[in-house]
Amino acid sequence: MSETKDISTMTIKDVPNKDYFLWGHGACPGCGVAIAVKNIMKLLGPETIVYVPASCLVVFGAQYPTSAFEVPYLYTAFENTAAVATGIRSAMKRRGKKAYVVGLAGDGGTFDIGLQALSGAADRNEDIIYVCLDNEAYMNTGIQMSGATPFGAWTTTSPAGKMISGKRRHKKDIDHIVAAHGIPYQATLSIAHWNDFVRKVEKAKQVDGFRFLHVLTPCVPGWRSQASKSMEIARLAVETGMWTLYEAEKGESSLTYKPKKMEPVIEYLKLQGRFAFMNEEDVNTLQRWLCHKWWLHYKDEVEAPPCYIYRAEKPLHMDGDPLHGA
Amino acid sequence: MVTKVISADHAVAWGARLCRPEVIPAFPITPQTLIMELLSEFINDGEFDADFIPAESEHSVMSIAVGASAGGVRTFTATSSQGLALMHEMLYAAPQIRLPIIMVNVNRSLGAASGIWLEHNDSMPERESGWIQVYVEDNQEALDMVLQGYRIAEDERVRMPIMICLDGFVLSHTVERVEVPDQSEVDRFLPKFMPINALDPSDPRMINPLVPPEYAMEMRYQLDRAMDSSRKVISEVDEAFALSFGRRYGGLFDMYEMEDAEFALLSLGTATTTARGVVDELRSQGKKAGLIKMRFMRPFPEKELLQAVKNLKALGVFDRSVGFNSFGPVFTEVRGALSPLRLPLTDHIAGLGGRDLTLEEMRSIFARIEESASGKIERDVYWHGLRGEQK
Amino acid sequence: MYEVRFHGRGGQGAVMAAQTLAEAAVLEGYHAQAFPYFGAERRGAPVKAFARIDKSRITLKSQIYNPDMLVLLDETLPEIEPVAEGLKPEGVAVVNTAMAPEEYDLGISVVTTTVDATTIAFEKLKAPIVNTAILGAMAKAQDFVSLDSIVKAIQDKFGERLGPRAANLNSDAARVAYQSARTGRCKAVRPILQKPQWLPDWDQMPIGVTLPITQVEGVVIGPGSAWQNLVGTWRTSSPNYDINKCIRCLRCWWSCPEGTIKRQEDDHMKFDYRYCKGCGICAQICPVSAIDMVWGVKSW
Repeated sequence: MSETKDISTMTIKDVPNKDYFLWGHGACPGCGVAIAVKNIMKLLGPETIVYVPASCLVVFGAQYPTSAFEVPYLYTAFENTAAVATGIRSAMKRRGKKAYVVGLAGDGGTFDIGLQALSGAADRNEDIIYVCLDNEAYMNTGIQMSGATPFGAWTTTSPAGKMISGKRRHKKDIDHIVAAHGIPYQATLSIAHWNDFVRKVEKAKQVDGFRFLHVLTPCVPGWRSQASKSMEIARLAVETGMWTLYEAEKGESSLTYKPKKMEPVIEYLKLQGRFAFMNEEDVNTLQRWLCHKWWLHYKDEVEAPPCYIYRAEKPLHMDGDPLHGA
Repeated sequence: MVTKVISADHAVAWGARLCRPEVIPAFPITPQTLIMELLSEFINDGEFDADFIPAESEHSVMSIAVGASAGGVRTFTATSSQGLALMHEMLYAAPQIRLPIIMVNVNRSLGAASGIWLEHNDSMPERESGWIQVYVEDNQEALDMVLQGYRIAEDERVRMPIMICLDGFVLSHTVERVEVPDQSEVDRFLPKFMPINALDPSDPRMINPLVPPEYAMEMRYQLDRAMDSSRKVISEVDEAFALSFGRRYGGLFDMYEMEDAEFALLSLGTATTTARGVVDELRSQGKKAGLIKMRFMRPFPEKELLQAVKNLKALGVFDRSVGFNSFGPVFTEVRGALSPLRLPLTDHIAGLGGRDLTLEEMRSIFARIEESASGKIERDVYWHGLRGEQK
Repeated sequence: MYEVRFHGRGGQGAVMAAQTLAEAAVLEGYHAQAFPYFGAERRGAPVKAFARIDKSRITLKSQIYNPDMLVLLDETLPEIEPVAEGLKPEGVAVVNTAMAPEEYDLGISVVTTTVDATTIAFEKLKAPIVNTAILGAMAKAQDFVSLDSIVKAIQDKFGERLGPRAANLNSDAARVAYQSARTGRCKAVRPILQKPQWLPDWDQMPIGVTLPITQVEGVVIGPGSAWQNLVGTWRTSSPNYDINKCIRCLRCWWSCPEGTIKRQEDDHMKFDYRYCKGCGICAQICPVSAIDMVWGVKSW
């Protein structure tokens, strides 16, 4: 809908100075969601309408009578981001108003309770930008596990108990679920890979139809990490295979960043108290799953030392579920 | 104007088309589906220009409707029963954000003892959702209330959504003679929609952020006052409608043979039609029977009702759903409104789960009310058409 | 009836302190209740908690407006909240500060117990969770809930959740605080903070839970008005930026969750400390160590 720019050469330097998500919001110090939203809003600009479902962002982004969003903003419920955005989009089209209609939902609001509305809107190819701010649990209600919570992670509903400790299932692959709808553009983003982040938001702006941007957003209280480490943790997620940066245009998927080599997942885990209760077996289970995923994404193009032995022996069960056995 | 012989569902679709809504989200559910089917045909044949959005659930239907209405366009939808229940959460967004959405609910029983047939237990629980709620008697009223509905809902003193309830199958799938007004007549009656609070990048507004306790209570009172203001607007619009189209419905409720009535039934929906016949019958026998046709359950016309029944010796209330607290919801409301009077009141529950409401049953309802006028009251609530003895 | 109002910041443990006090009071044979005010703020934001203690059954479920005891888990709170409002003149204050009571300016002169709970918490718990130390000081500031009962309550509440080791460390923190707490009369130099707030009657509010950007009664409301929340008061350490070392890579500008690092024409930075929450990401992300985190609420 906007003028075509050469996106491939864009960098952090091309990010506009003007903010539309302003200082004075109430996010925790070091909030990954705030970093993502601040920059997404800069890139989208003033002709944007924001819908936010129930989430931390609803709480820290706007409270009557003040708001950190300088653009039009609406909130109603938890599970309807894609649906409300559909209605707004339709109204803007009918009124001949130019606007990006963007939904800023959390992982619970996307992977779990909002999945139905997301699927409906993706299937109808609604002309909206759906952003999933993934901090891997229901943080707003106080850190409960969601479909996005990774294997082994402590949450208040996957506590470190005497019998069961941490989440027992791997993270749901929402990107593949969304990809199955055949939408025009989707991408995974990391706040620690800013140039890649900028290009993906810019690309989303240029495409018409349903666009899905999935951002990993570290959460200081929920991940039990230091506020200053949010960017470092986001970076390590990519280097260890906990997060993969890619995009898919009209079904054609391509990696947008390849790590030089795979870092052991323990480097990522040890910065976060949510993984402190994991035993060796669980760490190995997670590592094996990552190796499998790593190989699926990068094949032999990127070195992955811990994986060779494993991959040579036997592939993981197709769904990657440790409870189903390797 | 064109005369057609069509079902209430199709009458509603015609009513919607004539009001030129711009966004229509929908999800199929019996017995509402005919409405959406006909609207889709109008759109696909190029006779009517609107965004028809086939959502993946009724929750999303109401979410889309809220988004579109907050986006500043006239919005229409329809649902029924389980669909209305699935929307429940989102129903509560529209009134407080003051979105004048019109939704037709084709009444159908809700929940287990499942069926697709008529009962009012789907819409009655939504009385407290903040929607204006009106029940119609026939196909013409169904069409006309869509036209009246937008004018009431979009009035500056109101700005609230309206749920138009019509009886599943008994009305939705019954064809009757319906006068379909010309587009130009409707355009004269219904002004173009002017949003007052729309999402718009050129005039940014925050709509419904989290509201702390310092503000929420005043907002509730605003909505309470708007519901109160709607009483006057409903009457005014009925008068204006009569001027334009020659038909009037009496506003909050209508009365039949009430001038000198000694005993009367208060009913709503299609039961009213059969009750008219029984009143005529009783009148021909020299009995002073009357009928109050309840139209709006919200706003509830307490004061007007008190005035209307003050000369009665007995009043019966028809309920097509149960509160599982012995009484039906209409009775509970009416009893509350009439508490200043020492009027014998009885509740008459019939036609649940699609059970046909027969002429015999309606006669027995009036017989019980007549009895109560002479002081004979066996019980407060009668189930009519129930097999086995009522305890 | 004895009423206690706690003011702290999200994460300091004000709610837990209130609950522990209530439990200690019950151990002494009193009736007690404790409850938070569930604001919707996040970690670092001002929070409130309440405790009520009485000899007989408490017949009130409402917030506390005229406390007998005021507890501040953070000494800077009077600068940003009217915390001392409503405190009874004969009431007492307990404040987490390294200052002596006579040096501390609460805005109302009352008998005050001060304790350096932050230092004690860092020594004992290696974290700025000051609630157990403040409980020790509270034992000194009144005479009907003893230190023994407070320690017992700490053992019970913290032991249950965090294990016996954490319970012992927290009990130690309370004991040390009890020993080191000082009591005197605080200063009342600064006025109690008055915050302008828009509180219209129902018919003066725009309908539809909707606001455009509006200036009203000295405050700005509507889209983009959050800048009036000076969240910089939340921080405990501050970034010191050395413009001479800066290579203008923009990483700190990108990574600041608050948007309070301002990119200049020449791609150097300017820090707006009014909104810096002190997370320290900028110092971490800087490839040339041009930013240092310095303890305290400072600006340059």
